Amino acid sequence: MEQVIKFELGRLNAHLPVKRISLKSALSASRPAVQGKNGNLHYFKREELKLLSKLLPESEWDKLQLPILIALESKLGRGAARISGEIEAKVIGKILQREATDNEIIVYRPELALIRRKLPTTTQYMFVW
Amino acid sequence: MAAAFTSSPNRMELMKVRKRLALAEKGHDLLKDKMDALVMELFNTLKTIQKSRATAIEQLRKGYEAVSACMAVMGTFETMQAAEETKKEIQIEISERNIMGIEVPTVEIEETERNALTRGYSLHTTSSHLDTAAREMERAVKLLVELAELEVTALTLARELERTKRRVNALEYILIPRLQGAMNFIMMRLDEMERENFTRLKRIKAILEERE
Repeated sequence: MEQVIKFELGRLNAHLPVKRISLKSALSASRPAVQGKNGNLHYFKREELKLLSKLLPESEWDKLQLPILIALESKLGRGAARISGEIEAKVIGKILQREATDNEIIVYRPELALIRRKLPTTTQYMFVW
Repeated sequence: MAAAFTSSPNRMELMKVRKRLALAEKGHDLLKDKMDALVMELFNTLKTIQKSRATAIEQLRKGYEAVSACMAVMGTFETMQAAEETKKEIQIEISERNIMGIEVPTVEIEETERNALTRGYSLHTTSSHLDTAAREMERAVKLLVELAELEVTALTLARELERTKRRVNALEYILIPRLQGAMNFIMMRLDEMERENFTRLKRIKAILEERE
């Protein structure tokens, strides 16, 4: 059982990208994608990239790193998550129609559902312990 | 129950059990977070499927109505012949995305609606009803492809949810209680040994005092 736990814990963040790409480069790529730690490619939907590009001025396209990471932290409590990064928090704040503070934004379950519904490929979960 | 975890109740074993318990509890918390997120993803997808399925069914109804009307005006054989002449390819881009390590398909479909000139059938011998039927069916194809993506996603998420739930339950109801039981057993045994030792020393002291 312990081996299973270790395997599961190791697998939890295996999908995270080795290197994130900016919105600008994603928009200019023919098939925008990032490679995960497990070697698999994660593709972004163009319609989501277009939505993000509408939410931000063009000067900030190269500052937004994709995918936007949604950190699920045990210490925040069940259903809460943290999104860090100035531009990332700003864009999520615009979707949720509220202000981000200190370059990060804490989101709760209904908001998380909304974000994932609007940005299913350009956001990814990250488990923090 | 405790015997399964402890060969001999000593401090070293207690430390090992504590470490295993901490790992099990950490795993349990994280897997529960994952399970919560999976439930949310699944419900999100199911909600979208519901809307998407209703739209696709409505569009198919319109499509079949238009085809029936076309068959009534043009004739069944002529409609079938025109359908044979139609170009039958659509461009679909199938790729993958990751939801917490679960690979689900992403389908991007280009505009399926074509104009009458690019469909491939003769405009001279067909009615405008055929154009309407073709247009409605092309719209339906797009919706069906989108629905297929969502249904596969929901199925994959449901399977992973079931697997994660089994793991969480195994940790919550089997491993963690067993480890806690083993820890309590060792602690109780160590306390008992300490008491035995204390009594033994008292007894030895009493014997020595008697001898003196």
